Amino acid sequence: MSRDVDRREFLTLAGTAAGAATLAGCSGGNETATETSGGSTPMDTGTPEEELPEPETREEHLQRTNRLVHDDAPWIFLNRQYSVYGKSADVEWEARRDERIDGYAIEPTGSKSSVMITQSKMDTGLDPHDHRETTTDNIVTQAYEGLLERDREGKVVNQLATGYERLEAGQVQFELRSGVSFHSGDSLTKEDVAFSINRIVDPEAGDLESSQSDQLAGVTGAEPADGDSAVIVNSDGINPVVFALFATYCDIVNKSWIESNDAAYINSNMEGTGPFMLDTYEQDVRVVFESYDDYYMDAAPADQLTIQSAGEPSTRVNQLLNDETDIIVNVPPQNISQIQSADNASISAVPSTRIIYNAMIYNREPFDSVEFRQAMNYAIDLESMVSNVLGSFGDQTGQPTLEGFTGYNPDLDPYPYDPDEAERLVEASGYAGAEIELHTPSGRYLKDLEISQAVVSYLDELENVSASVKQRDFGKLVDELLDGELETSPAFYLIGWGNAAFDASQTIIPLLTSDGALTSYRNDRVDELMDQAQSMGGES
Amino acid sequence: MGSFGRFLLKRSLQGVVVILGVISVLFVLRYVTPGSPVDFIAPLDASDATRRRIAESLGLNQPLYVQYGDYIVSLLQGEMGYSYRSRTAVAPRVFAKLPATLELAVAATVVAVILSIPLGVISATRRHTGPDYAATVFSFLGISTPNFWLGVMLVILFAVQFGAFPTSGRPVGLLDALGHLVVIAGPERGWALPLNVGSFVAAMQNWLLHVTLPAITLGTYFTALITRLTRSGMLDELGRGYVQAARAKGLPTTLVRYRHALRNTLIPVITVVGLQLGTLIGGAVITEAVFDWPGLGSLIIDAINNRDWPLIQGSLVVIGAGFVVVNVVVDALYVRLNPRVLE
Amino acid sequence: MIRRLLDAVTGRLSPRTVQNLRSEFDTSPLTKVGVGILVVVLVTAVFAPLLAPWNPEAQNLDRSQQPPLGFTRAENQTTQETVDGEVQLIQETVQVNATVAHPLGTDGLGRDMLSRVVYGARTSLVVGVLGTLLAMLVGVPVGLVAGYYKGRVDDALMRVADVSLAFPSLVLAIALVGLFGQAAVEVPDPLVTTGLAAAIRGVTSLPGGLAYPTGMPATFTLPGTVILVVGIVNWVWFARVARGEALGVRDEEYVKAARSLGGPDRFIIRRHVFPNSITPVLVLATIQIAAIVLLESALSFLGFSGTTLSWGFDIAQGRQYQTTSWWIAAMPGLAIVLTVIGINLVGDWLRDALDPGIEGEGGGV
Repeated sequence: MSRDVDRREFLTLAGTAAGAATLAGCSGGNETATETSGGSTPMDTGTPEEELPEPETREEHLQRTNRLVHDDAPWIFLNRQYSVYGKSADVEWEARRDERIDGYAIEPTGSKSSVMITQSKMDTGLDPHDHRETTTDNIVTQAYEGLLERDREGKVVNQLATGYERLEAGQVQFELRSGVSFHSGDSLTKEDVAFSINRIVDPEAGDLESSQSDQLAGVTGAEPADGDSAVIVNSDGINPVVFALFATYCDIVNKSWIESNDAAYINSNMEGTGPFMLDTYEQDVRVVFESYDDYYMDAAPADQLTIQSAGEPSTRVNQLLNDETDIIVNVPPQNISQIQSADNASISAVPSTRIIYNAMIYNREPFDSVEFRQAMNYAIDLESMVSNVLGSFGDQTGQPTLEGFTGYNPDLDPYPYDPDEAERLVEASGYAGAEIELHTPSGRYLKDLEISQAVVSYLDELENVSASVKQRDFGKLVDELLDGELETSPAFYLIGWGNAAFDASQTIIPLLTSDGALTSYRNDRVDELMDQAQSMGGES
Repeated sequence: MGSFGRFLLKRSLQGVVVILGVISVLFVLRYVTPGSPVDFIAPLDASDATRRRIAESLGLNQPLYVQYGDYIVSLLQGEMGYSYRSRTAVAPRVFAKLPATLELAVAATVVAVILSIPLGVISATRRHTGPDYAATVFSFLGISTPNFWLGVMLVILFAVQFGAFPTSGRPVGLLDALGHLVVIAGPERGWALPLNVGSFVAAMQNWLLHVTLPAITLGTYFTALITRLTRSGMLDELGRGYVQAARAKGLPTTLVRYRHALRNTLIPVITVVGLQLGTLIGGAVITEAVFDWPGLGSLIIDAINNRDWPLIQGSLVVIGAGFVVVNVVVDALYVRLNPRVLE
Repeated sequence: MIRRLLDAVTGRLSPRTVQNLRSEFDTSPLTKVGVGILVVVLVTAVFAPLLAPWNPEAQNLDRSQQPPLGFTRAENQTTQETVDGEVQLIQETVQVNATVAHPLGTDGLGRDMLSRVVYGARTSLVVGVLGTLLAMLVGVPVGLVAGYYKGRVDDALMRVADVSLAFPSLVLAIALVGLFGQAAVEVPDPLVTTGLAAAIRGVTSLPGGLAYPTGMPATFTLPGTVILVVGIVNWVWFARVARGEALGVRDEEYVKAARSLGGPDRFIIRRHVFPNSITPVLVLATIQIAAIVLLESALSFLGFSGTTLSWGFDIAQGRQYQTTSWWIAAMPGLAIVLTVIGINLVGDWLRDALDPGIEGEGGGV
């Protein structure tokens, strides 16, 4: 198998790995171009990109792509979403960047020893390998742990592994921590770890069609090593992001427990190694944990941890202010000051890894005109929108990559608010008088409908464009976006994309390359640049 | 078999047919509605292969009539299949939600009956006085106010502004609260109530605090409706010959009012309330949404939003069947109270 | 004026009915109130582009959450600044005052509540009336046929009705709208597309020296799925009433006579059975409009709607601001209450005057 084939396969895999975490994969700066592609066809005559020197490092490739995308404006660049939590004065805790809440890090103060979290939804079952949402993650990861973990800032740290190394191209090894026991008292073995990995990647191994197989993209299986407590993980190809993946995904389960119980039981009980063990499970209502006494580190500061849900943000705020709960998720902007000024509560906020944008499908009228797409960006007063709709809990964006990510281009500013320029560009595009309709989900992302309504009202203010909002059922909207045909997608829609990998590629490949799963855009130069960038991936 | 027995049997058979109809309609719905459950389970960017595997693991690749047959068979065994999303059994999940919805409905009915019948009687017996006008205005507002809005307003006023009630939730169920009593005075500890009933009182208090606003929210429409019906019924009855005659005979007015007139008034009231039970359950669904009350309503909305068909079917079958049973009971009650209709 | 309007409408009814309607109208002040409310709501709905002070969708983010006249709102503003990657919070207190330009205040996006309430009347009434018409069109023929033929046909149709009745209407509506999606149709608004609204609005000005904005929405969103669903959900009530009436007359001498003369059933039903059911169906329709207005608002509140210009939708939006700006949820709710009271009063009037012998059909939310 030639190197090229390997790379192409990696690209496909990376393209399908939603938010595959590659924090360490691309430190940037120290990589050099190992190979430049020959026979590339120059594209997009007329863009200033042509006059720039060819990028060399991976970072430069990614930055160049961001510049191209900024100029060509296949999106209306909107905002980076923040994770905003409310916490009561009875606990000490700080928000994490990856949207998870680690119960172990919550310290009750004063006489209290129990902690209550209110999130937006309950779990969709407790099987740690059979779900994909943050809300379920937040529940199962109190009791289940992975080999590696991330700290609050996103750095990779050990959890059930005490060390890891690459043995050869497609093979890595994890050393296991000793003295770890499951909540039932069974000791953690290397067979359990290998089984857990295989259960995700191999439908035969654990009799489960895991929806997480994409999260361990590239991993083909695992086996216990010859030593006392080590596990070998095999990948297809070099899989440079493998350690990063294990830092975010793959909870370790007890093999014998899984094998001796049916799906319904596994989904309503827990058998992990984590600091909390399940006390009572009232499906759709609440999950109560108690501290696990035999945890291999200090027992959790809280004796009891309850997770409940309230779908309506204002209900969560009320619960917090009425001392009915200790931590609430997704505080809406209009309630932030109220919580911050309350005696019994405060706000904990971090920029998240999610970008909110309006896709404009590149080959559909009137969005097939670059001028028109740029005009849309000039028409939006992004600054006012962020400060008024989002209460300034959001950052303006001007490129698909978020600040702080590998590949972020610091030279690009968000489009300025310039309605005159916008009207001029619309005129120039030949689409004056265009009527456009923005399809938007409601309640899926923070203030999504309000953002859409604000966008449309700015566009509608242009003399030569009329715009309206169409509220969509999220499931059906996504259905249309995913059917692989751009023709059946709405030409203009709002969506949010989370990228826990902190790397430009994990946004650009799925959303902006020709073969991306959720793409709305095709630009051969972008494809080429990303192709080259991904062939330069360093070891994680 | 008496004519009442025959009526009951016929009515019950009809009920069974209707329940079968409900199940069939749900299957047809499932077939004709757009969108596959897979879309709601699979990650945004899942490959076709993954989606196909998920469909297979849910049994969605089976022909519909096979799924239908399997479903009927499992229903007869008291099972409702497994949720697509969480893989847990549907039947226990639905029945776990039932108490929350029922206690809300019962609390609302209790509120409604306690308030409305006296209100209606006062209103009728003191026609064209202050209380009558007040009751009339109240009942008019009551039947014209959307309950979810009333709920939101009650929360803003009594929970947010005054902090008198919790804003939402149901930390303790009524049965759990009553359970404290059984544990305190059970076979093991002897049936005598010990003095320390603190835990029972605390749990009961907690439940009452949480159920008050939802019960008012849900009960207001019914209070208003029954007040109206009682008033007009009483007015009709009081104007009838037998009441005049009884009065003329010198029977005390109160006896006439409550023994005869009210009793006759309540017959149509019961029927109408029976007919309105659907509205009560429907109202419970939306009241649950306002107060995050974890009952069948939130379960159904969630299930619909996720196209979790086993869960949609399970909860709707339970609601439909429950409703059919209640209707049969109401009919039977009506016939019992009013045997003339059988002739 | 109202009297004359009524006379025109009632001209086609029997003299005795008209007499009843008139005397009830004259003697009952509540009826006058009800008719008055309904006329106001109707006019508001029809002439929304002329009456709404602002474009209901036009937002002004600098004016968000303005209180209604007579109220003020103190706001602790918190803004954030990122210093070394950590989020720092800055607090300041601002007093927000009401303005004449927005007498009912503004919502979270600075849209005028009064204008939204005015436009919301359209959605409510259009769904209420079209939904009721649909329910009537489906329900009345089914009921007449069932009652006229009795026996098997009746049994079968009534079991279908029972299945439909086995679900609370709200639950069934949620399920249908949720599963079939929230399709909506954009209908051009003739008042706006003809330029009439802009012309009339151009000559008037707002109090406070503000110009009366002329740009109003050119289209009106008709929530198609919702209308279909509320119609389908409520057909049973009409079927029941029509069936009862048909059962009542099928053995009357004149119907029997018509049958012995060999008249086709279709003809007999249309000519002899249907006219009998008109009065009760009319009264039921009034009650149903109220019920459907409530049902529509509940669906919109739960997010099962096709439009963002609806009282129920605004209440749901307002709920998000319930701790800071109560009026966003309060105003549209008051509009619903007022409208439903109006319809119910008119319904009572019709019921008292026509005495159709129906009670407690339909339902509230």
